[in-house]
Amino acid sequence: MNCEEYREAIAADPSFDGGAGHLTGCAVCQEYRSEMVALEDRISRALMLEVPDIEMPALPEIETANVVAMAGRRRVSAPAWFAMAATVLLAAVLGVRLVNTGIEYDSLAEEVLAHLQHEPYALRVSDTPVSEQRLQSVVSRDVAQMDHSAGLITYAQTCVIHGHEVPHLVIQGEKGPVTILLMPEEMISDALPVIDENTEGVILPVGSGSIAILGQRGERLENIERSVLNSVMWST
Amino acid sequence: MQKANPDRQRRHRFDRLVGVFHQDMYRYAAWLSRDKAIAEDVVQEALLRAWKSLDALRDDAAAKPWLLTIVRRENARYFERRRLETVDIDNLTASQAALLAQEPDEDLNDMRAAIYALDDDYREPLVLQVLMGFSTNEIAEQMGLKQGAVLTRLHRARAMLKEVMDDETAA
Repeated sequence: MNCEEYREAIAADPSFDGGAGHLTGCAVCQEYRSEMVALEDRISRALMLEVPDIEMPALPEIETANVVAMAGRRRVSAPAWFAMAATVLLAAVLGVRLVNTGIEYDSLAEEVLAHLQHEPYALRVSDTPVSEQRLQSVVSRDVAQMDHSAGLITYAQTCVIHGHEVPHLVIQGEKGPVTILLMPEEMISDALPVIDENTEGVILPVGSGSIAILGQRGERLENIERSVLNSVMWST
Repeated sequence: MQKANPDRQRRHRFDRLVGVFHQDMYRYAAWLSRDKAIAEDVVQEALLRAWKSLDALRDDAAAKPWLLTIVRRENARYFERRRLETVDIDNLTASQAALLAQEPDEDLNDMRAAIYALDDDYREPLVLQVLMGFSTNEIAEQMGLKQGAVLTRLHRARAMLKEVMDDETAA
């Protein structure tokens, strides 16, 4: 890899980890890489626009649900005025809800599970670790100190849980990717089991915060839990 | 009463997905349209369309790209209907300027203006990569491009931003 190829690769994706051989011997490219990583941070902050409250539009009733529910029975048509009234009523009830406030999670566990759907591309089998810079930028020193001893970390992103920005990491487990959410501001008294159709794990109390560790059903999480707990130290 | 439960489940599923992804939908729409008011209109239309076709989404794990694709199409429809002209950054409407609302951080304002001024072809893949966390493969799929074209656009987008920001620093 020469300088031009390296710079094109790093400018296309600043988390590019290849070209280590070239980088070691090229001070100019080392400087270029530092500049691109700094630029990336500025781009990322600039793109994070403030999101206004978005009003949910009036959602029409969906006929398919009726068809399924009434299967096997002859459907009797309601008068047109009744259908219109029902639609207006539904719109009046649903239409005033704001998207922001439309969801209220019953528990931290439910919000954590919902968040897993937020970034499905994070849950990939991979043997490529995130760079040290990426890990450090996500697990900000203000939040926690963490090293690579937790396992093969293949994904690192800052996400929002319960209104707080938290590091979202993925470690490769035996059965597949394991999600780690470091939540220094979510204090819990006891470990909370988290289970749904495909996922199981736990939210562990850690000092004044907590750490969620979630894998596919059947994943052996004990070793990962131990190594994560050993590798993380809250900064506050 | 038989239909109450499926309806509620459908609504609950929709609320859950929208609750998780509405911020991404808005930001994507805002950077596509470069206009706060249009972005809100586009997101509303996208929510309505998503609600109507929710049953086509088989796997909730694919909800994010699915919703963003709807936003992208609604944005295109909006501009087809309006046939809006190219934005002149020195002559913005109030709603366009609102997107570039001044922050105390001058560097942030400069970068936001620089991204705003990027051509659509460069701005969109950058937003998908940096903000949405898409891989270059996923961006290629979303935009109907080859991966090589995506890499080139990302490389050029950052090179342009770097040049603008270096000039700002030097000035």
